Amino acid sequence: MRRELAGWGAFLVVAAALPWLGIASDRYLMFLANVMLMFMTLALSWDVVARTGQLSLAHGAFFGLGAYAVGIGYRSAHVPPLAGLVLAAVVAGVVAVALGIVTLRLRGIYFAIATLAFAEVLRTVALQLPDLTGGNVGISMPPLFDGDRVRSYYLAGGVFVLAVALSVWVRRSRIQYAVTAIRANETVAGVVGVSVVRTKVALFAASAVLAALAGAFYMPFITHTDPADAFDISRSVAALVFPIFGGLYTTVGPVVGTILLRSLEEYLRVTPPWKDGYQVVYGLVIVVAVLFMPRGLVGLVSDRMRRAAWRSSR
Amino acid sequence: MEALPQTLLFGILRSGLYALTALGLAISLGVIGVVNFAHGEFVMLGAYIGFWAYLLLSGPLGLGPAVSPLVIAVGIPVSAIALYFIAAGIFRVALKPVLRQPELNQMLLTFGLSIVVVNAMSIAFTAQAQDANLAWRFDLLELGFVNVTYSRVAGFAVSATLVAGTYVLLQRTRLGKQMRAVAQNRLGAQVVGIPVDRIYEMAFGLSAALAAAAGVMLLFQTQVSPFVGLGTLLKSFSIVVLAGLGNLTGVIWASLLLGIAEQVISQYVPNGAALRDGLFFVLIFVVLLARPAGLRR
Repeated sequence: MRRELAGWGAFLVVAAALPWLGIASDRYLMFLANVMLMFMTLALSWDVVARTGQLSLAHGAFFGLGAYAVGIGYRSAHVPPLAGLVLAAVVAGVVAVALGIVTLRLRGIYFAIATLAFAEVLRTVALQLPDLTGGNVGISMPPLFDGDRVRSYYLAGGVFVLAVALSVWVRRSRIQYAVTAIRANETVAGVVGVSVVRTKVALFAASAVLAALAGAFYMPFITHTDPADAFDISRSVAALVFPIFGGLYTTVGPVVGTILLRSLEEYLRVTPPWKDGYQVVYGLVIVVAVLFMPRGLVGLVSDRMRRAAWRSSR
Repeated sequence: MEALPQTLLFGILRSGLYALTALGLAISLGVIGVVNFAHGEFVMLGAYIGFWAYLLLSGPLGLGPAVSPLVIAVGIPVSAIALYFIAAGIFRVALKPVLRQPELNQMLLTFGLSIVVVNAMSIAFTAQAQDANLAWRFDLLELGFVNVTYSRVAGFAVSATLVAGTYVLLQRTRLGKQMRAVAQNRLGAQVVGIPVDRIYEMAFGLSAALAAAAGVMLLFQTQVSPFVGLGTLLKSFSIVVLAGLGNLTGVIWASLLLGIAEQVISQYVPNGAALRDGLFFVLIFVVLLARPAGLRR
């Protein structure tokens, strides 16, 4: 435990110093650094739900919901972006509890189906309520911190720290036993006294709040959102492919997975045969990971290390 | 403005394709026990193969106005057979290894496959929507009290035939009996000598072939792009949930309910189009709240 916290402490120090290592003046690199933190938050939050054995296809939708909460707050009541973060968290929490209570009582496939449908419905609703959401055109707002990407980097970093904290806490506290039991067998978990539904709903809600916070940061950072962008399914895909590639049910995995895959995406997006089809790579990563490396990069590395340790001990 | 019988007729016609698409999804769920998030992509691939058949028939072969029925006669068998083998291949390579793994892995796998197929298609054939402009989309069939496009009637007729055929296959043939046995009890089926994996493969192929036929009929109603799968999948999901997971007879009633309800809403509710497109979700939500096992149990 202490070693893990020391590791994350060191990571955060490096991350906090990053702008001062020469990239603070490079607007593109700072943009990337901001976006990276945002996606790490999203990936970490998805992984927390996956630990209970549930497939959430709504994390992109909660991201979009957070973005819209900030946008609508600004548009209709001039709520400043930082207060907007709180608004987004509350909205997402309430919605996730409602969605969770209905769907998480049942077999996992109902949850997966309902979350996929939920994203599509939010997009339709955003399109059909132009008075509130600006319809097709979407909502614009002035740039976060007047476009100061160093300050926004620290804000995104704050949200990221929350996500790391949730991820580590779930793994290191008593709740880990409940979570593992639920993933292995819900019926048995219930028999030994785990409140299965309550645990799943609580973790889903906490996770949705984090996803919404990432979106609430994104909206004033990018300064604009519209239904097609906010509820783009590709963000739900990103939320799950990063942890799967890095290593499910860990805290390091989603972070490493995001850094590697999001960097690759940045390259593929401007490279001719791929462009918007770069997502084919994400699809392949999911399929290959499920078939051949179910514990992701972290699993590969720790197996290698264990084998090396075994060999040197002989 | 429009009379009730007409609304009902349009609703019933609309439900045909829904049943055809959802039946395939219900088969893969009921027989194999896997939620296939790539089912919509089978529909999309079927539509593309139908579209190429149309290009071939109307271009080099130059068959002019006669092309609409030919697209059905040629496109459906070709795309159904192609998708049968594509799905059987997918089953062997990717699905079979995860059948005994946790549900999460199975769902991730089919979801990953769906992303691969959508984006590979958009790289290979652009993200642009393709329009077959088949004459039957606009030609009206006069029924006396109402006029309907040929495309709607053909879509319903083809769907009804294939759905009925599938039920006969499942109820009256040896293969269908084996499929039902595997669905009821995998271990028991194995014990009495049914080659379970082979049956799974055929069931998955069958579900894809049905989806492909639905895809060809979709050409008569709308444009096709690599992204049409998602919407199709979601509506099929809502039908399958409404019917009760894996309940194959329920699919017909659920499709009728969704089709008619959508038609009624868009006819009688002002600005009903938005509500109509969100209706499937409302249905999922209400069913899960009230009768999670499906409407008829």
